[in-house]
Amino acid sequence: MAGRGTRQRACMVCSIVLNASEFYKNGCPNCESILGLRNSQDAIQECTSQVFEGLIMMGDPKSSWVAKWQRLSNYVPGIYAVKVVGQLPQEIIDTLEDNGMKYIPRDGTSVEDDVAA
Amino acid sequence: MAAPGQSWLTQDFGGDDEESDNDFNPGLEMGSDAEADDDDDQKPRVSAQRSGSASEDEPAADSKTNGKKSVSPVKEEREVAADEDEAEGEDDAKEEDNGEDDEGEGEDLNGNEDDEEDEDEEEDDEEDEDAVTSRPRKRRRRGLNQFFEEEAEVDEDDDELEAEEDDLGPEFIQDTHPDDDLPPEADQDDRRHRELDRQRQLQQSLDAEQEAAKFRERYGRRTTTALSNSSFVPQNLLMPDVNDPSIWGVRCKAGKEREIINKLMKKFIESQGSRNPMRICSAFERGDGPMAGYIFVEARRKVDVDDALTNVADVYPRSKMNLVPVKEMPDLLRVTKNRELEVGGYVRIKRGLYQGDLGMIESVETNGLEVTVRLVPRLTYGMDEDQARPGAADAKRKRPNNFGPVNSFANRPPQRLFNENEARKRHDRFLQQNRGLTGRSWSYKGDLYEDGFLIKDFKLQHLITENVNPRLDEITKLTRTAADGSELLDLESLAHSLRNTTAEGNYVPGDEVEVYEGEQKGIVGRTEAVTGNIVSIMVTEGELTGQLVEVPVKGLRKRFREGDNVEIIGGSKYRDEVGMVLRIKDDKVTVLTNNSNEEITVFSKDLREATGAGGAGAGASKFDVQELVQIDPTTAGCVIRADRESVRILDQNGSVTTRIPSQVQKIEARRNAVATDKNGSEIRVGDVVRESGGENKSGTILHIHRGFVFAHNKLGIENSGIWVARCTNVITTAAKGGRITAPSTDLSKMNPALQMKRPDMSMAPPQRPGRDPLQGKFVHINKGTYKGHRAIVKDTTAGEARLELQTKHKTINISKFDLSVVDTNTQNKTRYEDWIRNRGGPSAMRAGPGFSGSRVPDSGFGGRTPMGVMDGGRTPAWGTASRTPAWGGPGSSALESGRTPAWKGPSGSQTSYGGGGMTSYGGPGNHSTSGSRTPAWNAGAKTPYGADHGFSSSGNSGFDAFAAGSRTPAYTSSSRTPAWGGPGNAASAPTPAARPYDAPTPGISAPTPSASGRYDDDAYTPYLGAPTPGAGPQDAPTPAPGFAKNANKEPLKNNRLGFDAPTPAASAPTPYASGAFDAPTPAAGGPRYADDDDED
Repeated sequence: MAGRGTRQRACMVCSIVLNASEFYKNGCPNCESILGLRNSQDAIQECTSQVFEGLIMMGDPKSSWVAKWQRLSNYVPGIYAVKVVGQLPQEIIDTLEDNGMKYIPRDGTSVEDDVAA
Repeated sequence: MAAPGQSWLTQDFGGDDEESDNDFNPGLEMGSDAEADDDDDQKPRVSAQRSGSASEDEPAADSKTNGKKSVSPVKEEREVAADEDEAEGEDDAKEEDNGEDDEGEGEDLNGNEDDEEDEDEEEDDEEDEDAVTSRPRKRRRRGLNQFFEEEAEVDEDDDELEAEEDDLGPEFIQDTHPDDDLPPEADQDDRRHRELDRQRQLQQSLDAEQEAAKFRERYGRRTTTALSNSSFVPQNLLMPDVNDPSIWGVRCKAGKEREIINKLMKKFIESQGSRNPMRICSAFERGDGPMAGYIFVEARRKVDVDDALTNVADVYPRSKMNLVPVKEMPDLLRVTKNRELEVGGYVRIKRGLYQGDLGMIESVETNGLEVTVRLVPRLTYGMDEDQARPGAADAKRKRPNNFGPVNSFANRPPQRLFNENEARKRHDRFLQQNRGLTGRSWSYKGDLYEDGFLIKDFKLQHLITENVNPRLDEITKLTRTAADGSELLDLESLAHSLRNTTAEGNYVPGDEVEVYEGEQKGIVGRTEAVTGNIVSIMVTEGELTGQLVEVPVKGLRKRFREGDNVEIIGGSKYRDEVGMVLRIKDDKVTVLTNNSNEEITVFSKDLREATGAGGAGAGASKFDVQELVQIDPTTAGCVIRADRESVRILDQNGSVTTRIPSQVQKIEARRNAVATDKNGSEIRVGDVVRESGGENKSGTILHIHRGFVFAHNKLGIENSGIWVARCTNVITTAAKGGRITAPSTDLSKMNPALQMKRPDMSMAPPQRPGRDPLQGKFVHINKGTYKGHRAIVKDTTAGEARLELQTKHKTINISKFDLSVVDTNTQNKTRYEDWIRNRGGPSAMRAGPGFSGSRVPDSGFGGRTPMGVMDGGRTPAWGTASRTPAWGGPGSSALESGRTPAWKGPSGSQTSYGGGGMTSYGGPGNHSTSGSRTPAWNAGAKTPYGADHGFSSSGNSGFDAFAAGSRTPAYTSSSRTPAWGGPGNAASAPTPAARPYDAPTPGISAPTPSASGRYDDDAYTPYLGAPTPGAGPQDAPTPAPGFAKNANKEPLKNNRLGFDAPTPAASAPTPYASGAFDAPTPAAGGPRYADDDDED
């Protein structure tokens, strides 16, 4: 269920799954400009989660429906999670919005929102 | 033409809020209209798409040509009005949203058409600008120059549309009127206008971009969402269609899904630079849910999937590959939200020492990934550590042991609350009290313990948060106990944990229920049927009355009214309580229990209307009074009162407790339980016992359970007469069925010799000389299980035959009378009775037992038998009796044993005189077996007799016993014992021999007569010489006379009894003979005595 064994973490914004060390070394390939995970253990702790389910190997985000559905179309190819449990700190969400990105929680909460809307 | 027009529009429309959407269209429609008219191909798509709106514009632009004019305004009116309504309904923000949405769509639809986008943007701008109404401007515009006539007109039309929306109906018509007159030129004009339009549009687009940028800056937050690369489109608009790649489900090794995905990713990356790159779009797995054992690959073609999956371990693309229907694709990626973890909720620990243990959430980290959980600790306090081992080594060893047996699930210490005192014993150095508020907080080995509970942080992935199903006992363990001992059970949190685990079984047809959730909320009815999670309800209230509605269990709750008599059926620790509903709040019901008058609060789902009229004891308890029940693993008790909802129990320790029936368990009574009482005698269920000491209660044993006796005294009032005591504290007073319980030392049971006699006695009567004729015969079984079988008689007893069946390899015992003897030659069957009769002879007689006791025939063996016995028996008896002296005379120890039987013989016969019947075989028997005699002696308890005379001390007590036994009757009267004792002792050992001399006068006197006798018959020599022949014993002479005396006396006695005197005389020679044979002296004495006797 959760990332067991390896210390893999999933970015709570784009849901990309990487090792904690990779996040530390290179940051999140999609959201680095906003989250600034590189070299920041705290940011990694806050913005990535070890609890995620369902791995997606995304080879061709542009044409993939899965990518579209998961809103990964504009992200880099890689491994993503279907569901990432955890909540981003509010200030990060604000920053995201200020940067023109709508934060879609990936822990399943948005589904209900959609239905409601 | 549109372009310039739009620039105008931009300006114009600034004023009109509501029109934003419509504004947008008219602008285009202008163009489209034109197109329609002129077959201009420039924007075919747009026109097509906007045809709807085009119709709106028609009145203005081409009302004439189409002749729709008359109709269209009205239509427009309607449509627009509708639009407006919508628009009005929404507030500003919403509108913008719409705008955005539209944009989005626009993007989608138009794809690459910049113009449109620009327009959109313009409109956005307009919208933004339009805060100030532009009515005045419009007016102005209306009156604008003719140069822009067409456009203006169009614009105006649009305006008018809008105006119309603003209820300018008549005006609109008037305005349009002039247009109607224009059509002919309008066509031509249109072209030019359109050219202009285009130019304008170009410029405008540039401007628009700038402007957009400006706005973006100004209203960044709102607009960027729309413009950000991951623009938010509701997911339901992202539904897959046929143009999207397909998804195939591929079987794989369950549990390896993630690995496979990772491998595929690697493979994908590697293949990218190669000649034939992987062509799949994506691949994904959904973990260990219902889709375990599958990965899903998204690709355009199936071949691509095959290519991608070849040479990937654990995937089986060769097995059936399922194409996922387009409709089901979103389901594959459905994400269900984890239940929100709430403080006070319950979780289970996934791994480690506390695996499976229930924990209560103390707090949750803000990111929801780390949870502080309260647990009941499992500590050893170092008790399992090897003290001898040095600490370092210990630590080293411990690590590997983490996965070893020491900390294994099975060996882990039990759940117990933290006890600082125990921790101090060995681990004082690890223990530290936290100076907190409560003072009950400790740090021990790096963990925090509060109020005895372990407070520990867990990562979310190490917790089970779903389907926790806390059990009541676990919850109670986890529940803090307040200072006053009351339990702070948080019903609220319990409710949360339990609500989702509603079992279907909770609803029974007839329950009154209420729907509190979902579409049918508010419906009240009675359940008709329950199928799985769906309950059919017959509606009883409201407008749906009488209808059958199906509702999921989830949204149901039972409905009670205050005052209802309810029974608690499950989930709560109050199970089986019955009470009255006091208060109902949502699904929590407060009940006043009948039993304890407590107010308890439970969920309505755990309630059921109590059957019966109400009141305690409405139904029978499942326990009965006097039943043995188990209270806890070590305590048993006896029910002393059983109500429907409570049981009063007297436990083995004598205390009385009240329990709910569900808390106790019946113990299957062991009917044959045996115990021993204080005195060691056995007690069984049903025996009457008395308490030793204490209150001396008595009663009948109801149960014996592990050293405790539950007894019932009918007269007792306390505890319905039931009392309990340890087995060792009771004394049995009367055993059931008269069983002898006193520990009587029945020596007859202990004496193996006596034990042996029994079979002998029973064996004796049959008297079969030779073997049973039945043995070896071929017989037919007439009765019983083996009726009809044939068998060979292997052995027989008095009444039974032991048969070896012919059909089966089996040997059975069967009554002889159930047999028929089969003649081996003729195969004729003869019933055993007949057969044995026909054979005649003694055996037939022997078969007689059927008539009476086996002995009777013996005794009745010819009426004269007794006589014969008398005769026959007498002779030997006498013979032996007379021989006795002779035997005594020799006094040789060698003969002793040999004689004993002989000696017994007479005494046996004597005894049998009293008894009668036995004589016959007693006589003959005496020669054959000494053992057989023993029983005869038994009759007269020789032991006491011997004891009286102190003979028991003599070496061969057996001898004494025989003697004593046999003589008892005779001697007691005649007091000749000493004399008789004399020979006995003489024969055996000198020591006793002294006695006769000492005590009994007769003993002394005895020699005297004999001496005198000898004197008479010149027997002096023998007398003097007696010592000499005495051989071993110096006393030899003494006994001799003694025996003589004895012998004399005995015959005398016998004589007195009516036997003829000659017999002794006759017998006298016999001893004489024997005596002579042994030693001359006594022999000589013998006859002399005989003479004496004669003389006497």
